[in-house]
Amino acid sequence: MKKIEISRRKFLQGSVALCVYATSSSATVIPKTTTKTSTKETTNIPYLCNMCRNKCAGFARVEDGIVTKLNPNQYFPKSRNMLCPKGNAGIDALYDRDRLKYPLIRIGKRGDGKYKRVTWDEAYEYIKDKLVKIFDEQKDNRSTLAYCNGEGFNKDEYIKFFGGKIGSANFLDEGSICLNTKLGATLLTIGDIGEPDVAGSDFIIMAGANRYESLITPDSIDMIKADKQKLVVIDPRCTVTAIKADEWLPINPGTDLALCLAMIYIALKDELYNKEYVKKYFDDFEKLKKHILNSNYTAAWAESKTTISATKIEKLTKDFFSAKKPLFYLGRRSVWAKNDFQFRRAMVLINALAGSINTKGGIIFGQPIKLPDEEINQPYYSNAQGRFDLEGIVYGSAKGGSWLNFREKLLNGTAPYPVKAMFIRKHNLMQNMPNIQKTKKMLEIMDLIVVLDTIPSDTAMMADVILPESTYLEREDMVVSFNRLEPSLALRNQTVKPLYESRSMQDILKGLGNKLTMPLFEISMKYDEELQESIKEMGKIDAFEDGGYNLSELYKHDISTRNKTLITKTFGKEAYKTLKEKGVWYPNMNNYHKEIFNNSYEYYPEDKKLYTINRKYRVKCYIDKLDKHGYDAMPTWKDSYDFTLPDKRFRLITGRYVMFTQSATTNNIMLRDIMKTNHIWINNAVAKKLDIAEGDIVEIKSNIGRVEILAYPTNKIAPNVVFFSHGFGSSSDELEQAFGNGANDNQLIEDKMENIYGCAVMNETDVQIKKART
Amino acid sequence: MARYGMAFDYKLCINCHACEVACKEENGILLGADKHRLWIEASEPVGDFYNLARDKGGFLQHQCQQCENAPCLKACPNNAIYRDENGIIQLYESKCDLSLNCIDACPYDARYVDEKKHITDKCIFCSDTRLSRGETTTACQITCPAKVRIFGDLDDKNSEISKVLRKREYFSLKPEKNTKPKLFYLA
Repeated sequence: MKKIEISRRKFLQGSVALCVYATSSSATVIPKTTTKTSTKETTNIPYLCNMCRNKCAGFARVEDGIVTKLNPNQYFPKSRNMLCPKGNAGIDALYDRDRLKYPLIRIGKRGDGKYKRVTWDEAYEYIKDKLVKIFDEQKDNRSTLAYCNGEGFNKDEYIKFFGGKIGSANFLDEGSICLNTKLGATLLTIGDIGEPDVAGSDFIIMAGANRYESLITPDSIDMIKADKQKLVVIDPRCTVTAIKADEWLPINPGTDLALCLAMIYIALKDELYNKEYVKKYFDDFEKLKKHILNSNYTAAWAESKTTISATKIEKLTKDFFSAKKPLFYLGRRSVWAKNDFQFRRAMVLINALAGSINTKGGIIFGQPIKLPDEEINQPYYSNAQGRFDLEGIVYGSAKGGSWLNFREKLLNGTAPYPVKAMFIRKHNLMQNMPNIQKTKKMLEIMDLIVVLDTIPSDTAMMADVILPESTYLEREDMVVSFNRLEPSLALRNQTVKPLYESRSMQDILKGLGNKLTMPLFEISMKYDEELQESIKEMGKIDAFEDGGYNLSELYKHDISTRNKTLITKTFGKEAYKTLKEKGVWYPNMNNYHKEIFNNSYEYYPEDKKLYTINRKYRVKCYIDKLDKHGYDAMPTWKDSYDFTLPDKRFRLITGRYVMFTQSATTNNIMLRDIMKTNHIWINNAVAKKLDIAEGDIVEIKSNIGRVEILAYPTNKIAPNVVFFSHGFGSSSDELEQAFGNGANDNQLIEDKMENIYGCAVMNETDVQIKKART
Repeated sequence: MARYGMAFDYKLCINCHACEVACKEENGILLGADKHRLWIEASEPVGDFYNLARDKGGFLQHQCQQCENAPCLKACPNNAIYRDENGIIQLYESKCDLSLNCIDACPYDARYVDEKKHITDKCIFCSDTRLSRGETTTACQITCPAKVRIFGDLDDKNSEISKVLRKREYFSLKPEKNTKPKLFYLA
């Protein structure tokens, strides 16, 4: 019998660790959550969560028009009948009293937070006047308007409006401050972005990812539940994932590529790789072999780079390649080091050498359910110029671009034309990318900033016009297709009517489109010679109609009608009915979906999972284009990748806590109740030398900024590394919970970019630390 | 009539706090650190950074143990605490005068003071919310990514909890207190 002594008092007074609780300040705020659910029968409406980018499915319990509880949805293969703490706390995002309630127009200076409440029409009118002036000045160069989006849903539709209809080439999304290197490395190496089959693997190496704190479904759940699966975690910090791992190997920040290169070296030298697979699928295998062996990436060499012992690297490699279903997990967010693209590519190659591609337990291709595109008639603007943020970048995302390069080119005057207007949807630029001062300067250039959001974020406080968008619980969105191994469709239904004067994105764009259509068409008539030609040929009305200049075309029908038409037409009436009632649909769902045990479900029978599909593909060891641009065609170590620190400096690394992944979550009263703020993790022995105790306020300085933050001395971080979590330290005093709470990592993180995908590098900033006060 | 109990596959826990939030939202628990019906005890790794001893099973779930031999029930001077027909330790809220004897008596720190209702409160297996609506499980159980908890009727041989307890080894917290908890931790 095991005896565990525990006292609640002791528990509370003990180490703050991950459990710093809110005190009286939050207890005084709205007792919305302090009402229990009722005993009566009521409706449970299926919805899709939006607290983070991941998307889990749930049912909202609605009592008299109020959401009183969110419960997990057992039908969704992706989220497997669970909701995380953020998902549960979604109610407090819906009923957050700080929410944006009405359209607002700025009356003070940018950033000082002075706004007046206006009607929707007044807001649209203001935007119209400004945009007409800007497009007139810029002679109908539509790309003088940039638009960005940080929310997963409705992105394509948002692009259709500002890119397709209004005609701007400058769309930016979170990809270049998130996962584009990983997507790109996978795509370029095996021809597809794939999906990891975590559940099917018996041996997982996880580097550059923290799946028990940055939850991604189904990966995180599958890791927990998989029995007989060995998990090895590589991380400079002892995260919760590291605590739960079978083995945790601490590593110098930014040196994971060295570990990967040594694993490839050992696999090639000792011929541990899957020869049959390599023979069948690899291109330029001999080139890779020669390069790796000649470079002498031995385990001893990697030890000198990573601090992981050569013996452990040898053993790890042997264990990995002798496992039945090995998976080197590719991670998701973020871009940690300048070599991130090569790091992710090396991981893909390791999977391929083990034959773990298009097979159970590896990176699978699978087959997502294909949704038809709703086509629109897009005008052609002959004066609209192309995007400029991919100049100097080898690949980059043609869709979402490169934030750092975009910002830099605007600031240093190398952009080929001015950008004067910016539409920002659920994308907290003032917190989400390195070097906030530069973001502020970029925004200050604009003649018009419009923010669509649910809360008065730091970015909203820079806006000229704020348009309150409904939260995810107040709107229906277009149906979405999820996953490849166990594919499904899922529908976000409206659970309650929009609060205050908030509107769905579609309604916002419809109103904006109606207001802008004719004035912007007239600008084109003035400057667009091709349009002038067609008007001569067919007359103004036909040129307008044929040209697709009606900006609200997509919004002739409301979203419910559009969903019903699209789903019924493609998948039948039953699919639509199921999506409305259960939130999820996939072929044969009624037969396949069954409970296994204790509210856990099977979604597809084993023989129906799409582990292997019939597809021709090649594993590219060597990429010519990289070589042509002066980059490594095969993963290679450079001296500049070595982990070195100037005297008395620490490497700052960032990451996530499970309650706070997105900056918006730091204003959530329930999540703040679980953890009050962020702390800087500093090695306990080092802290002692610096006379820093738990709870002391320390000053952290980098080359670009300084913050003050509470100290958390711990043995879970290396002596030369410090960590604090992202999303805190909001400067918007409209956010009662988040304002001034904790520190903002991007005040310190220097803007360094990797050049293959133009991604911001998060973990290459060195800082100084000193005690500010007790 | 049932005899409800709960088993914990506690080693699966990743300390994500979903259970705690779900409990607070479902049962209208006050905000604040010392106001919760359930919590996770996290044991921190020991040693220095390069030689850390980690405990994979180091996250342990705590809540009212629903003792067969409940010290709180005996300690209440007002007879405000009783066992309901499903074996759940309940409170006549009107009889509670906050003597706090129950809080002192509980070896598991399961009770706290609900400052809004002026009573002592603790986990009652969602009996006045979910179970009263005919739902078959608790808010903490259903939301868990790991499905750590197994909830059900100990008197029903075919219930999942009965099956699990027949099949696997388990232990109770503070057995020396002789409280006979109906919460079981799977070894």
